[in-house]
Amino acid sequence: MWMGSKEHYDRGVNTFSPEGRIYQIEYAIEAIKFGSTAIGIRTNEGVVLGVEKKLPSKLMEPAKSEKLVEIDRHCGCAMSGIVGDARILVDHARVEAQNHRFNYAEAMSIEQITEAVSDLAINFGEGYEGTKRKPMARPYGVALLIAGVDDNGPQLYQTDPSGTFLQWQARAIGSGGDTAMTYIKESYHSNMTLAEAEKLVMQTLKSVMEEKIQSDNVEISIVRTDTKRLETRTQEYVNNIISTLA
Amino acid sequence: MDNENFGLAKSFSSAPVLSISPHTNFSQKEQTDIEHELNEQVGTTGEYVSEGFCFKLAPGQDQIGFMRSLKEKAPKLTDFAKGTTTLAFEFQEGVLVAVDARATMGAFISSNNVRKVIEINDFLLGTMAGGAADCMFWEKYVAMQCRVYELRNGEKPSVAMASMMLASIMRQYRGQGLSMGTMFTGSDKTGASLYYIDNDATRVKGRLFAVGSGGTFAYGVLDTNYRYDMSLDEAVNLGIRAITSATFKDSASGGVVRIYHVTNHGKWNLIHDAIDVSELHYQFEQNKGHTGRGNEGKPNKYL
Repeated sequence: MWMGSKEHYDRGVNTFSPEGRIYQIEYAIEAIKFGSTAIGIRTNEGVVLGVEKKLPSKLMEPAKSEKLVEIDRHCGCAMSGIVGDARILVDHARVEAQNHRFNYAEAMSIEQITEAVSDLAINFGEGYEGTKRKPMARPYGVALLIAGVDDNGPQLYQTDPSGTFLQWQARAIGSGGDTAMTYIKESYHSNMTLAEAEKLVMQTLKSVMEEKIQSDNVEISIVRTDTKRLETRTQEYVNNIISTLA
Repeated sequence: MDNENFGLAKSFSSAPVLSISPHTNFSQKEQTDIEHELNEQVGTTGEYVSEGFCFKLAPGQDQIGFMRSLKEKAPKLTDFAKGTTTLAFEFQEGVLVAVDARATMGAFISSNNVRKVIEINDFLLGTMAGGAADCMFWEKYVAMQCRVYELRNGEKPSVAMASMMLASIMRQYRGQGLSMGTMFTGSDKTGASLYYIDNDATRVKGRLFAVGSGGTFAYGVLDTNYRYDMSLDEAVNLGIRAITSATFKDSASGGVVRIYHVTNHGKWNLIHDAIDVSELHYQFEQNKGHTGRGNEGKPNKYL
């Protein structure tokens, strides 16, 4: 029986190791580090989200908004990790956000959206009696940066496979996440303008990306504090920022 | 039956939006408890267990049978006295929607200032006839479905699609006591279009509809003056004229006229928010040289 040997505690998703770890969740967190880099920065003027779009082959069509998506008109989401898993989470977030509008006639707050995503993210394993939805058998191997503006102003959250969510002023996830975080830490200050934040996102992406930064392999979205609307930046706009980078 | 947590937000938020509306759950029939045996005795045709919504349903398992027997046992209980006049027609510049604003509870006029055009979203409109709550709730529900569709697919659903969502819901709840007669109109890539949907799950695409107790009076005015190549001004005036006539003859309609215009370019506009019909009546009568009091050619008795 495998229960006896220590190295097999990672077989079940609901099994603790004697040290108190659930290996499958830790492995899922590792999966994020293979993903492309995603960066979010919060300023008083709004929030910026930026992602790197990897194009493994020249023959591949550059897909539109695959890793930077809209959850609701006041909230966007950038992802890193297994994109297929993220689609389930994002779809859940969208449905929850619309249900909230339907039931309460107001926009769902960014924290509530994040919480809804995290609730689904920890609901893996065998599920419990009475659930109609068949739960995911394994943790979701993806981290999300959820950014938006609500009554509490601009906000940036990050979720991970363990169901933890944390609020950040600036955050980078994915393969270049750690490098990017040290880079951002040097330049970030709390009264940055939105334009400065956009430039910082691009500058950071440029420094962590393996390929040359171009308008078709990065994407940027913002949510302004005054309009509370998600806007996706055009390729020309991105090109303009790239030309100003050091 | 799992509809005990009626009204809780929790019951809404777990709604599977994949299925457009709650559907029949046949697996429930496999239970072997007392409830199941009761089902057998009643001779259930199909049990409705709402997946998304947890509505408190009528007692018993056979909802349609219950509603039918209720009509026999208490003939007037489910015949809600209601009245309205709403109309909509297609013309060359889109669709024109005109409604009155009266809400009645039997002979009692509860309001003369109801908004009977439901602004579903920025490209869809629905009119309200029958049960106000049924219209508002389900049209708002369709609005949510449309938004989720837009987020998932990156483009707005067509009016045909959105109207079918509403018709499918009416089909699911057929015979269970919903009351709705709506003109569902909106504007998409193909321009403006108009559908009529009601609680019998009727869904017809058409040029000209008038719904409600005053609808027949409105048809009279519409059919004599309607042309497809009307200008927007002509269409607006026809809408006002038809509603005013209907409110004059139908006691269950009245209040003010509201006019909406659905353009052919994916938007709708509010043209007139509230024109008092009693003022309009005198205006129209005076144009004919009448006083509007209906006493032309009669001697005045009291002076």
